[in-house]
Amino acid sequence: MAELKEYKCPCCGGAIAFDSSIQKMKCPFCDTEFEMETLAGYDDELKNEQADQMDWNISASSEWQSDEMDKLRTYVCKSCGGEIVGDENTAATSCPYCGNPVVMMGQFSGALKPDYVIPFKLDKKAAKEALNKHYKNKPFLPKVFKDQNHIDEVKGIYVPFWLFDAKAEANIRYRATKVRSWSDSNYHYTKTSHYAVMRGGTIDFERVPVDGSSKMPDDLMESIEPFQFSEAVDFQTAYLAGYLADKYDVDAKQSIERANERIKKSTQDSFAGTVQGYVSVIPESTSVRLHNGEAKYALYPVWILNTTWKNNKYVFAMNGQTGKFVGNLPVDNGAFIRWLFGLWGVISAVVFGISYLLWL
Amino acid sequence: MKKRFMAALLIAILCLSFGMVVCATEGKSPRLVDFADILTESEEEGLLTILDEISERQQFDIVVVTTNTLDGKSPMTYADDYYDENDYGFGAEKDGVLLLVSMEDRDWWISTAGYGITVFTDTGITYLSEQFLPQLGDGNYEEAFTRFAYLCDEFITQAQTGESYDSSTLPKAPFSVGYHLSRALLIGLLIAVIVTATMRYNMKSVRFQPAASAYIKSGSMNVTEKRDLFLYSHVDRTVRQKSSSSGGGSSTHTSSSGKSHGGGGGKF
Repeated sequence: MAELKEYKCPCCGGAIAFDSSIQKMKCPFCDTEFEMETLAGYDDELKNEQADQMDWNISASSEWQSDEMDKLRTYVCKSCGGEIVGDENTAATSCPYCGNPVVMMGQFSGALKPDYVIPFKLDKKAAKEALNKHYKNKPFLPKVFKDQNHIDEVKGIYVPFWLFDAKAEANIRYRATKVRSWSDSNYHYTKTSHYAVMRGGTIDFERVPVDGSSKMPDDLMESIEPFQFSEAVDFQTAYLAGYLADKYDVDAKQSIERANERIKKSTQDSFAGTVQGYVSVIPESTSVRLHNGEAKYALYPVWILNTTWKNNKYVFAMNGQTGKFVGNLPVDNGAFIRWLFGLWGVISAVVFGISYLLWL
Repeated sequence: MKKRFMAALLIAILCLSFGMVVCATEGKSPRLVDFADILTESEEEGLLTILDEISERQQFDIVVVTTNTLDGKSPMTYADDYYDENDYGFGAEKDGVLLLVSMEDRDWWISTAGYGITVFTDTGITYLSEQFLPQLGDGNYEEAFTRFAYLCDEFITQAQTGESYDSSTLPKAPFSVGYHLSRALLIGLLIAVIVTATMRYNMKSVRFQPAASAYIKSGSMNVTEKRDLFLYSHVDRTVRQKSSSSGGGSSTHTSSSGKSHGGGGGKF
C-alpha cells in the first residue's frame, strides 16, 4: 500500500521542493539549497524513518461504492493532518490544506519504480510566458479569447513514458523510373526507364517514448516531443517534490504498438532516402521486422495549462525541458474572412501593378 | 539633209522616250483596285487619298487590291504577279507592299518587294495582320484597309531608324485591362487562399507524430542490400512545333517574272 513522503528541510523543518532553475532542492522558507546527491542519502534515511510511521490510513467511508473506492486513495498529510484525496495513479501532489508538496512512495515501489527522470528545467513563469508567446502573431485568434483569457490552472506534471529500444530489419522493393528527353528537328523524345530497386538493412532506434498515462492525451504528448534523453538522471523521488506525478496506467505491452508504428514509418522513410537519382519512387513491397529491446520506464516533465472559453476546454502543453509549446486555438471566422478578402485585394492589386509595369 | 534627218530622228526618239516616262509616272495603276466591289465610292475615294499621301511621302507604294477570283492562282502568285505586271514600286528595286484580299475563298496576302522586304519581316507581317484581320473578318473593309495603310506608314518609319519591326522590336499591343485584371484577381485569390489556409492550419498544433526519426541511433543505419535492377524502357515521341518567329528576318521567294518578293497571308 501507499505511503506518503514529505521532504522536510533539515535546517528549518519546512517542506522543500525541487527548484528547476538551480536544478537543486530548495527550501522556500529559509532559502537553503540541497544537492540532489545529498538528498539521495537523505531519502534513504527518511525511508528508514518511515518504517515506524505506518499510521497512514485509507479511510474509505462505507457510503463509497466499491468501484469508486478502487479509484480513490486518501492520505493523511504529515504536516497538518489534513486528508489528501488522490486517484489510484496519483504519485505526487500537494496538500490542499497546507500546500506542502507530498510524494506517494507506494506508487514507486518495486516494479513501479521508474528507471529515469528528466527533471524540470523550466518553471511556471516560463510556461505562462510561452502561452503569451503562443498567442502572438495569430491574427485568427479571437481577440476576446486573448483578452479575457484566464488560465484555470498551470500544472507541472511528471508524465510516465515507456521508452522502447528497437532494431529494425527492413527489406523494401521499390519501382522507380528515370526519364530522359531529347529532340531532333522533327520530334521531341521522352525515354522512360523502369527499375526495380531493392534495399535491405538494419537501423537502430533508441528510447522511442510512448505516453503511459491514460489521463494525458496521446497526441498532446507526442506534439511536445522530442525530449533530450541525454539530460535524464536515475530516478529519485526527491525530484517529484513540488510537482504532480502520476504512475503509469497503460502498461508496456499496450504501448509498444504505437512505438512500433512510428519506428516502422521512420525505417521506411530512411531507406527511401537511400534511393536516389530517380524521378519517381513507389514502394512495391515492404517488410520491416522489429526486434524490441527492454522497455524502460521514465518520467518526463510537462507543463499543462487549462483554460475554458465558451464552454470549450483548451489544453496547452509545454515540454518542461525544451520549452516546446503546443495547444489548439479557436479560430475567429470573421477574421479569417477579412484576411482572405484583404489578402485577395492586396495581392491582386500588386499582380495587376506588376503586369502593367512589365507591359510598359 | 542627212544630218537634219538624223537630228529630227533623235529628237523624235527623245520625245517619244520622254513621253513614255511621263506616261509611266502619270498613268501608273491606282493604289486601290476594288475588283470585288466591296467598298462604296466615297470609301474608295477616302482610302485612295490616304494611300497616295503615305506612298508619296514615304516614296514607297502601298497598294490594296480586292478580287472575286484568283484565276486559279495561289494568293501569293496572284499578288506577286499583280504587283509586277502593274509595275508598282518606287526606285530601281520597286519598293512597295501590296495587300490582296480575295473574296473567292476569303484569302488575304501581303506581298512585299524591294525595300518592302526589309520593312516587313515575317514576324512583322504576322503582327500587322493581327491588327486588321478582325475588321476584315467582320466585313469592315474600309476600316481594315485604313488600319493597314496607317500601320504600313508606321512600319516604314520604324524601318528608317535602321531596325525594322521584328520578333524583338514589335510594337506593343494595347494594355488589356480586362485580361490583366481577371488574371490578377485569379492569382490573388489563389495565393490568398493558400496563405490563409496555412495560417488556419497553424492554429492547430496538437498532432500525432507520424515517425520516430528523432530517435534513430546516429550512425546505426546499415544498408546491406543495395541493388538497382533495370527492367525495361520505352520511348514516347511527340511532333515538334515549328517555331517560325524565332529567327526573325524576312523570307523571300521569286515570282514568275523573276522578281524577288516577300510576304505572308492566310484566310479571314
